[in-house]
Amino acid sequence: METVMVAWMFDSLLGLGLLWLAWQSLACSDLFKAIVLFIAFGLLMALAWVRLEAPDVALAEAAIGAGLTGALLMVALAQLQSIETNGDAAVATVKKGHCIRPLQWLLLIALSLMATGLGYVIISFPAHVPGLSTAVATHLEASGVSNPVTAVLLNFRGYDTLLELVVLLLALLGVWSLGGTVPQQTTTPAPLVLEALTRLLVPMLILTAAYLLWVGAHAPGGAFQAGSVLAAAGVLLLLIGRHPRAALMALPLRLILVLGPATFVAMAVVTMLIEGALLKFPPEHAGKLILLLETTAMLSIGATLAALFLGGRRHTDKEHS
Amino acid sequence: MQTFYLALALFLLLTLGAGMWRVLRGPTAADRMLAAQLFGTTAVAVLLLLAQASGNAALRDVALVFALLAAVTAVAFVQRAWPKQKQEQEQPQETERDVD
Repeated sequence: METVMVAWMFDSLLGLGLLWLAWQSLACSDLFKAIVLFIAFGLLMALAWVRLEAPDVALAEAAIGAGLTGALLMVALAQLQSIETNGDAAVATVKKGHCIRPLQWLLLIALSLMATGLGYVIISFPAHVPGLSTAVATHLEASGVSNPVTAVLLNFRGYDTLLELVVLLLALLGVWSLGGTVPQQTTTPAPLVLEALTRLLVPMLILTAAYLLWVGAHAPGGAFQAGSVLAAAGVLLLLIGRHPRAALMALPLRLILVLGPATFVAMAVVTMLIEGALLKFPPEHAGKLILLLETTAMLSIGATLAALFLGGRRHTDKEHS
Repeated sequence: MQTFYLALALFLLLTLGAGMWRVLRGPTAADRMLAAQLFGTTAVAVLLLLAQASGNAALRDVALVFALLAAVTAVAFVQRAWPKQKQEQEQPQETERDVD
């Protein structure tokens, strides 16, 4: 009884904290403070997923929400500030942001309508739905993996994951199409401590990525989590000024970026020709095929996220290096 | 024993509230960043306690990922955000914010 009580207190504190943090990070006018609040929000969100018994999502939230996004936002803010101090008039006016009152009301009404609609839908649900978990459990044997989440993501509904990979690639193309970025001045070598830390951390991150990929077959883990940990290694190297050579940035990078989606598409075509259905794996080879798909997906996800961190296409690399 | 672990996790969650005060007050960006790092460490501890309480070993993997990636955020701050803050301290808008 006491356990239930403490668990209830923990959960309600977590829920209230999440709401408060979300509100604060949106309403706060100091952008740096908002980023710190957002990082804290990511941490609590991961704890909430753990409490909801969804460790797979918690792992993804830990890797992307709390880890990479914080670094990404912080670097974006630093670039924004350097643009502002250089006296870019266009950015300054955007930042002042003339609020249009009617638009705000329109937004408020639209959002309230949506919230009401969502609330109605949730209330009108039947109280107990069996869901698809029993169907997944009965076919788990044939999927080639023993973790139900991986079985759904890579086997039963593999096309969802294929489309997710394409979305990531499209996001990068979107960033690249915005044009080049101002290269960060990294002429000063990284301090010794940072250098030593990087030497320790990068192998650890790569090892952890490999572990998460492998463990995904029977426990929470998988390509997206492993890919974002791999990307963190890349981000760390970029941060201390270890930019890849310009030659690597051209064709090899692009090949790694499309490796995951291309393998997926190739697999989809082959399974369609042999098995007669999109991404339908023969049960005896499913385990190996899923591992192959996840490995290539991990490499592509890692490269894509690190390239997103780098920002726009580097026209300036030629004169830079 | 399960109650004990959960109670400890609850206590750690409460200490986050104390850290939140530092995030809101500042006064400098480094104060806020260090509070966020402390949150990361606390979250790792909470995850380990929850792993022990629920017997779900996968939560330790989540804690591992947290611990590894918190360092990356800290490096991003030191390398990109902090030098900028120092340079801009001469400018009126920055000093205004630092004096709280």
